[in-house]
Amino acid sequence: MMTSHMQSGQPVRWLLLLTFISAFSCAAQAGVSVTQPAPDFTGIDSNGSTHSLSQYRGKTVVLEWTNHDCPYVRKHYQSGNMQKLQKEAISDGIVWLSIISSAPGKQGHVSGVEANALTSQRNASPSAVVLDEKGDIGRLYGAKTTPHMYIIDPKGTLVYMGGIDNIPSSNQADIGRATNYVSAALQSLKEGKVITDNVTRPYGCSVKYD
Amino acid sequence: MITRPTYLLPLHELYTGLLLFCLTLFSTCTHGNPSGTDEVITPHVRVSLISEQHSIEPGQLFWVALHFGIIEGWHTYWKNAGDSGNPPRIEWQLPPGFSASDIHWPYPQRLPVGPLMNYGYSNEAWLLVRITAADNIKAAQINLNASAAWLVCKEECIPEEGEFSLSLPVAGPGESQPSNRHAQFQLMQQHLPQPSPWSDRIHVGENEIDLRIHIAEHDAGRIEDVYFFPARYGIAEHAAPQIASVDGQTLSINIRRGDLKAQPLQSLRGVLVFSEQLADATITRAFEINSTAALSQNVWLMLAFALLGGLLLNIMPCVFPILSLKALSIVQTAAHSAATARRNGYLFTLGILLCFAIIAGTLLVLRSGGEAIGWGFQLQSPVFVLTLAWLIFAMGLLFSGVWSFGESWMGIGHSMTTQRSYLGAFMTGVLAVIVATPCTAPFMGTALGYALTQPTGIALMIFLCLGLGMALPWLLISLWPGLSTYLPRPGVWMERVKQVLAFPLYATVAWLLWVLAQQVDQQGLLYALLSLVLIALGLWFWQNTRLAGRVWQTCALVTLLLLIGLMSTLLWKLEPADAITAGAQDNWQPYDADTLARLRADNKAVLVNFTAAWCITCLVNEKVVLSSDEIKTELRDKSIVYMKGDWTNRDPAITRVLEQYGRSGVPLYLYYPADPQREVAVLPNILTKGIVLQALN
Repeated sequence: MMTSHMQSGQPVRWLLLLTFISAFSCAAQAGVSVTQPAPDFTGIDSNGSTHSLSQYRGKTVVLEWTNHDCPYVRKHYQSGNMQKLQKEAISDGIVWLSIISSAPGKQGHVSGVEANALTSQRNASPSAVVLDEKGDIGRLYGAKTTPHMYIIDPKGTLVYMGGIDNIPSSNQADIGRATNYVSAALQSLKEGKVITDNVTRPYGCSVKYD
Repeated sequence: MITRPTYLLPLHELYTGLLLFCLTLFSTCTHGNPSGTDEVITPHVRVSLISEQHSIEPGQLFWVALHFGIIEGWHTYWKNAGDSGNPPRIEWQLPPGFSASDIHWPYPQRLPVGPLMNYGYSNEAWLLVRITAADNIKAAQINLNASAAWLVCKEECIPEEGEFSLSLPVAGPGESQPSNRHAQFQLMQQHLPQPSPWSDRIHVGENEIDLRIHIAEHDAGRIEDVYFFPARYGIAEHAAPQIASVDGQTLSINIRRGDLKAQPLQSLRGVLVFSEQLADATITRAFEINSTAALSQNVWLMLAFALLGGLLLNIMPCVFPILSLKALSIVQTAAHSAATARRNGYLFTLGILLCFAIIAGTLLVLRSGGEAIGWGFQLQSPVFVLTLAWLIFAMGLLFSGVWSFGESWMGIGHSMTTQRSYLGAFMTGVLAVIVATPCTAPFMGTALGYALTQPTGIALMIFLCLGLGMALPWLLISLWPGLSTYLPRPGVWMERVKQVLAFPLYATVAWLLWVLAQQVDQQGLLYALLSLVLIALGLWFWQNTRLAGRVWQTCALVTLLLLIGLMSTLLWKLEPADAITAGAQDNWQPYDADTLARLRADNKAVLVNFTAAWCITCLVNEKVVLSSDEIKTELRDKSIVYMKGDWTNRDPAITRVLEQYGRSGVPLYLYYPADPQREVAVLPNILTKGIVLQALN
């Protein structure tokens, strides 16, 4: 973490500083923007199959960053909220990728077998659970929390990123009275309308990168 | 395992069972004592509700705090938790008449978590709340009850909650006692951000914000470790480094924008923290920042465009005849009295500016009402078009000499020192604006489109600049008598010119009737034409009875009024006709959002032309460029679908598309390439064949 220091007005030092900064900022900035093309990625799922975003061009894709031990993820799984969303999406032909970017040894990290067990135990129905233990896909998308939701339209443009709904608590009782941004966005996409809330605050535990 | 009926279990086994049960709930919510005490202890925090006062008196303002003692390595969060996490929440149940403020947050620390950043507190957190006691307290003791929920994390997060109750005795006025925590409260006040003593500004870019603070020079050398904590999510990239530097008396902090960078930012709120080197120690300071955006470069450019657009309005065919005559009248006036000429110039400018202000005000009110609006929308109403045609026809007849309006409110050839010329000068300005409506000059369109997306103040300024640009030439002529010496001397030629200038007015009427023809059916058009005949008749009649007897004059006046009444009822009979439909031999199809979406999904290239019958620029482009053989061949060879969106009548769907591209009027030319990876191209308002061919490739 770079601490900021005072610089008095000397041109050469300014120039050096600026060069350093721009180089650093280019490196530091990954992250995506809505209305821009979503970056392509490749990942391996819990069954060892490879998935890449480009293979799903022509379909709507939902990315759900998850960590089964995080209280906020549990809020949505124990209540059945996430599973319901997944079922509705899958039945509409939407591709749902649950992505686990927890590093080995950190909370949420699971093997392929464990991931499949969790899926069947919780009655979840993602198209695939992608194991991103190096955190490459997470960093590429700037995934910060679990859950953190992204929606990509059939043309490959990122159309939604942010939280699953608008009440950032770990309390299951809040699900019923919250506005679910993901289902609203998917509905708008289906009807060909503009998504009104396309960038919202993602809430949850931090993604456990290495 | 021995199973025995529960009622036979000895007590210690029951307690063991309970303990095991509690332990298995370790990773879920841990609750504090439900009945409410002043302290709640969980495995990670020790939270207590404390007060700076031991006893309170009626009407007193005093501080309480929810104090967190947090175990090593764990932390709780600030009001903006950063990339993850959640701030604590307190809900109060207070005795009647008591109120609690929002949480006053001491300045936070940066808590990096891998590539992410949180803002919060470690070791200790004080959530300060200001309580206002009721003016009348009946009881001798009051209870302040609060339920709080918080998130405490190390790597993993545990949501926790607790119920708190603080009992305070009530003393008489002047007899309240501070508690033994009072000194600690004083200390914590220093950790609350203070109002900033300096002036500040932000410059907002696409990816960055520059926070500039005007500090005293002598402070600069001793400030270190500067960091700005944004008050809410999405404004700044929490994990990105902030670059602080001093240039003379300005402390600049460069902040990378966060997820919400696509949304316009008017103000930046948050807490600025830095360390200050004093002679004997280094202390940390925190200030509340609420900084507003300086007018961006863009706005000045837009104002310049608006001015230019206003100037251009003067040479548009609908405006030119009136204003050129205005120049002549000014010349005449100046010959008599320079002061009057100047006054008329000011009044004329005032008329224009006021008109623009009213239009701006109305559009802004409508905008806040959510109506789909755009400049030129008045011409979508056949009623407005016909009324305008009547006005201009009457003016044409005035110029042709069929009638005269007392001193002729244009002020030609008569003494300028009477009262009436005030109104005359003012009204010329007003009419000029009304008549300018159909001519969306290229610059004006962009400026107005921009204006309507801006906050009220800036939008108003842009409209006024437009008006100023329009009035400018004539204002200048009225101000500088010197200029008028370059203008020709009055003479009989002025009368000739006036008569000649009636014809552009008639041409404008003809054009308005053509617009009307697209908007109403054939019967409506007949009514409109007949109404013009009636106007001519009425005015001639009125003029010729001016010098006749009282009876004739009254007759004429009554006839005129009847005619006005008749024509007003005519307006109600106008019915809009159907929109333009494509003929079989045309190479275009009507614009439809769904069809467009389908075509694009099929990877077809589409050229969309948003036009209106009353838009001259549109018609010229269509005639000269879009309907030319070269372009037609190009469209056919490349299988480009050509769509026309007709905005002659009110069409909210098209208005929305215009707004999406920052326009308030037509024309708008969009080219959607066949390749979905390529962006949609917005063509300029004035087309040439070269521009279109280039865009289509």
